[in-house]
Parts: sequence; C-alpha cells; structure tokens
Amino acid sequence: MTIGVEWAWVIPALSASAFVVVALFGRWLPTRGAFVSVAAVLLGFVLFWFVLADLLANGGGTFGGGWLVLGDVNITWGVIVDRLSVTMIGLVTFVALLVQVYSVAYMRGEPRYGWYFAAHALFAAAMLALVLADNLVFLYLAWELVGLGSYLLIGFWHEKRPAAEAAKKAFITTRIGDVGLLIGIILLYRATGTFDIGGVIHAVENGVGAGLISQATVNLSLFLVFLGAMGKSAQFPFHVWLPDAMEGPTPVSALIHAATMVAAGVFLVARLMPLFEMAPGVLLFVAVIGLFTFAFAGALALVMTDLKRVLAYSTVSHLGLMMLSLGAFGMAAAILHLLIHGVSKALLFLGAGSVTHGTGRTDIREMGGLWRAMPITAITFTIGAASLAGLVPFSGFFSKEEALITVLDERGLAFFVPTFAAALLSALYMARVTFLVFFGANRGEGEAHESPWLMTAPLLVLAPLALVLGLATYGWTDAYQGFGYFLSGKAAHASPAWLAGLSGGLVAAVIFVSWTRYVGRPSWLPGAARYADPRDPKVYPVTGHAPAWRDRVHRLLVNGYYVDEAYQWAIDRVFLALGRLVALFDRVIVNDTGVDGPALSVWLSAMRARYLQSGLMYTYAMAMSLGAVGLALLWWLAA
Amino acid sequence: MIELAHFQLLGAALFAVGVYGVLARRSAVLVLMSIELMLNAVNLNLIGYAAFADFTEAQRALGQVLVIFVITIAAAELALAVAIVLRLYRNRSSVNMDQVDLMKW
Repeated sequence: MTIGVEWAWVIPALSASAFVVVALFGRWLPTRGAFVSVAAVLLGFVLFWFVLADLLANGGGTFGGGWLVLGDVNITWGVIVDRLSVTMIGLVTFVALLVQVYSVAYMRGEPRYGWYFAAHALFAAAMLALVLADNLVFLYLAWELVGLGSYLLIGFWHEKRPAAEAAKKAFITTRIGDVGLLIGIILLYRATGTFDIGGVIHAVENGVGAGLISQATVNLSLFLVFLGAMGKSAQFPFHVWLPDAMEGPTPVSALIHAATMVAAGVFLVARLMPLFEMAPGVLLFVAVIGLFTFAFAGALALVMTDLKRVLAYSTVSHLGLMMLSLGAFGMAAAILHLLIHGVSKALLFLGAGSVTHGTGRTDIREMGGLWRAMPITAITFTIGAASLAGLVPFSGFFSKEEALITVLDERGLAFFVPTFAAALLSALYMARVTFLVFFGANRGEGEAHESPWLMTAPLLVLAPLALVLGLATYGWTDAYQGFGYFLSGKAAHASPAWLAGLSGGLVAAVIFVSWTRYVGRPSWLPGAARYADPRDPKVYPVTGHAPAWRDRVHRLLVNGYYVDEAYQWAIDRVFLALGRLVALFDRVIVNDTGVDGPALSVWLSAMRARYLQSGLMYTYAMAMSLGAVGLALLWWLAA
Repeated sequence: MIELAHFQLLGAALFAVGVYGVLARRSAVLVLMSIELMLNAVNLNLIGYAAFADFTEAQRALGQVLVIFVITIAAAELALAVAIVLRLYRNRSSVNMDQVDLMKW
C-alpha cells in the first residue's frame, strides 16, 4: 500500500491525537509531552510530501465517510485533496513545525509547558482540518476550533490581565464575524440543499443560470460568509483583536499570523472563489475592504513603538492585500502572497521573539545596533523584513508584484494607485522597524545576547525560503508553469517590466530614505546628520517639535484611529444601554408581571377569601344546607 | 293504612326539625341532638323503603342492614362529639356555639 492522497486526513488527525495525548497524559511524559506534539506535526509535514507527490502524479479527489444523516441531509467527514488544500497543508505543517521547535526553547521553564504544546497541537489540527474540509459544516466546526485554539494560546498567560482580556477580545470579535458565516452557510444550504462545497458551487452555478436561485440570495449569503472571513482575517472593522493578541507568547503570534487563524479567512474566500465570482458585487466589497485595510493598517504600523505591534499591524495590512487580490479575482495571487507572507511573517515574529529573549525588551525605541550582539537574528530578520517590504530579489517582491498586476488588470487605476502607495508604506514601516532595532546606535541599556540554537535554527530554515520562495511565482519548466497555473489552471497575469522597475525602484528609494532618517546620513549626501542624539524626535516623537497637524495625525495613528475607543463608546453607550433596557423589560414585564403577577394575585385573593372562614359552626352548616338545597333544586329543575 | 308516603313525610319533617336545630340552637348539646334527629330521619326513610317498596328480598334486607350501620356509627360519632363538647366546657366554661370560632384561619 502506498501512501498517497488518501492519507491526507491523517495529517490533522495526528495533531488532534497529539492534543489528546498531551492534554491528558502530558504530565507523565518526558518533556511533559512536548515531543509528542512536535513529532505529530513533523510526521504531518513528512506526510505532506507524500500527498503532494501523489497529487501531482495521480490527481486529487474527495475522500471521506458519513458523519451525520439528518433527514435528507448527509454530512460527511470528508477531505478535499486538491492543489489549494495541499498548498495550505504544506504551509501550516511547515510553520507549525518550526514554531513548535522554537517554542521548545522559548517556553522552557513555563509552569504550563505541556499544556502550551497541547493547545498548539489543537490549533494546528483545527487549521489543517479547516483547509481539508469538503463540506461547510465540517469547515465551520474546524473554523470554531481555530477560534478556540487562538483563545487558549493568546490567553496562555492568563494570570496577566491584559492577556486574558486580549484572548477574550480575539474570541468575541471573531465570533461576531462567525455569526455571519453561520447564517451564510445556512442560507447557502437553503438555496442549494447541500453542505458539500463542490455541490454548493455546482448547484449555485446551475441554479443562478436556471433562475432557481436568485442573485440576491447568492449575494447576501456570500456577504455573510465574508463577514466570517473578515473576523478571522482581521479586516477592518474587525481588526482590533489582532494587535491585542500580541499579549500571547511570541511563537503563538508567529503561528497565528503566518499559518493558522488569520490565513483561515483568506483561505475561506479562496476556497469559495467560484461562488464569489458569481457575486461580483460582493467581490467588489471584498476588494474595497481589502484595500482599505491594506492602507489603514499600514499607516498604523508606521508609528507603533512596540516591536510586535508593528508586526501585528503589518499582518493586518498584508491580509488586506490578500483580500484585495481575492477581490480582484486573483485567487492564485492571494494564496501566493499568503504563502510568502506566512513564511516571512513567521520569520519576523520568531526573530522578534529572539530579540525579546536576548534583550528582555519589546519597545523598539529602547533597541538599536543589535546586529552586533545577535548576528543570526539580525540577518534573518532583515531578510524577512526585506521580503515583506518588497525589495527586489526577495520573495515578497514577486508576490506583491502579482497582487499589484492583478489589481491593475482587474480593478483598474482607481484601485491600483492607492494599492501601490500602501505597498510603499509597507516598505517604509519594515525599513523603520529593522533599522531601529538592528542598526544605528544602541539606545537600550543592558547586555543583549544571541538566542539558543533551537531558536535560531528555525530562523535559519525560514530565511532562505523568504529569500527564494518568490521564484515559485514563475514557471521554469514545462511541468511547472508558475504558481497561478499550478493552483488554478489559469496563467498568471504577465508582469510588465515597467511595473517591476517602478515598484522595485521606489521600494529601494523608500528604504534608502528610511536609512537616512533612522540610521544616519551618508557623508556624500548634503546636509549634516541632524539627529545624532539617540533620544532624537524622529525616534521619540514628542509633541511641540512639529507642526500641530503632524502631532494630531501622529496621535491619531498611535491610538489606532481611536477605533478601540469608538467600540468602547458604542459598547458603553449603546449596547449596555440596550442591555439595560432589555434587562428592565425582563424585570418589569417578564418577571414582575408575568411570573410574580399570577402568584401575587393568588395571594391577594386568598387574603380576601379567608374571611369566609368565620370559624362559627352555623355559617358552615348554613352554607352546607343551602348548597344541598341548591343541588336539589338544580336536580329537580333539570329533571 | 300506613303507606310509604307517611314514612317519607315524617322523615322529611324530622329532618327539617334537625336542620333547624343545627342552624338555630346555640347549645352544642342541642346541636348534637338535632344531628341525631337528622340521622334518624334518614333511618326512617330507609326502613320505609325496606318495608313497602317493590324490591327484592335481598334489597329490602340491605335497607335494614344500612339502618343498623347508621345507628352504630351514630353512636360512635356521638361518643366522640360528647367528648369534644366536654373538653370545650372544661376549657371555656360554656357550650355556646356562638363563642366557639376556633375552626378558622
């Protein structure tokens, strides 16, 4: 028996079993069960290659057995093995493996070390099940498990109040979108009569043409499904949970940002792309949300001073770019960027964790010049940052190029120009964070040291990938004709030379400007180095040194456009007021009138009626006699 | 010639006297006696039916048996009632029913 595509379901099952074993028996195992979790995901990664090889040789398919039969509805535990799901499996197992290896060192000495790996395994298993699911119910189940995994891991240090709050916020914010997803799934089922993804797509394709399913139904259900994707993928206005999720351990952030959780939303839209293509209005909405998020979060990343928060807003921003590509019919471009961003962002987060481990600090204003103390981290982090910035030979350049050309071709200049500007923004903030942390003068106090090899090894594995993965964009042989062709069978948009030149040149220019600003002015440039002081106002923006409008803009950005405050206001003033109104209704109408009312009336009437009991014998005798006479009369009259 | 109607009329009259006595007398002893009157009025009816109506032997015997039962139970009940009245008198130095209103809320 050969190991092939039929074995794909084993990959999530391995991690799920690891979760059970580690959670239940971890405390009696050596290393408290961490090795079980790592071994499971390692095996999964090995299996991925077998599945991939078999998929390329013999094609994929859908495998599964029955799960539930409810009336006419048959829900299966099925897996789809196709190029999209296998690509995602590769990314998830790969990143999860590296992150877990890294965590072995990073989390050493934690009191709940075993539980950390159990939750990690659960998270990975949920994400793997999500990408493989062949029906919407199974997908939704896995989707919610991903939410649970993120909750457990973000709130891993739940003794710390901010961590507990952040976990709660992540869970609730994504849940709001998930309600939309659930309603969308139900609407799709009502329209098509099946939960099977292939079946739904087929039914909608035929149904809309034949007039059985109205366009409005398709639009509404896909809009609701997209709400779920917005929640998980942290699109505006649901992005607020992601920066707060930085309260979790750094490897968790790497996993959430690169492979699980946030990728789920992008994957969902990609998986349902044939459906979305039948709802151009919704797809335009996807594009608008994506573009807005891309630009909006990029500006925020520019002013954050916490290392992980910069990376968090950068993730939000790049997820916006992926959504924008999806909104421009560019499924392959979005998944390519998902892959490359995943690898680069995992690298950056693991690097950030290494920096925190080595210096004990997270504020980039307190860093600087760390490349001397932490050369491996510095080099790998710089490669990751260059990739995300879109610097020419790095892989991010290629995927960003794909996204840009897709947007230009499908959505025109009105979308392309802001996208291009926002792409330059990402170059700017990536340059800023790299220069402030690793270059220039050291503004922090205390010694920095390189991290142990278990932590640097994943960095050294990821960095070359961040360097060369972009080459997968284009076809090099007849067997592999570019990533877009590999994934969707459609040839990728040809990237014109002028665009490559323009974006490559501008990104390089932006990075150079950033260097002069944050590191130092090269001697051959006119003008003196004005900001030699480490506490210079470029690094520590203080009010009063700049024109008032710049202060205002800076404050606006540092506070994240006051979105959190607006939500807090809405919760305090609107939702709680509404809640109080409902509570009042419940108390006065339901409780006092509905439940206590009858009881009270019984009591009151009893209080009156008891005076009939005089205690005097003859009143009773009289009543009895009259009653007997009355009965006799009645009987006589009736006869 | 004595007929069934005579028994019934006498029984009804006796019962009415008993009801009046229960409702109107104040003394507990007289009330008890009135109750006895009512019971006996019923007995008269039963005996009358047993003696005159066109029933079978077994049914007429049943009427007489019922009368014996009523008398027996009336005796037992009266013993109890007189005991209660005695206790009442010990406690309240009176058997006036107007003053006995213990059976209330």
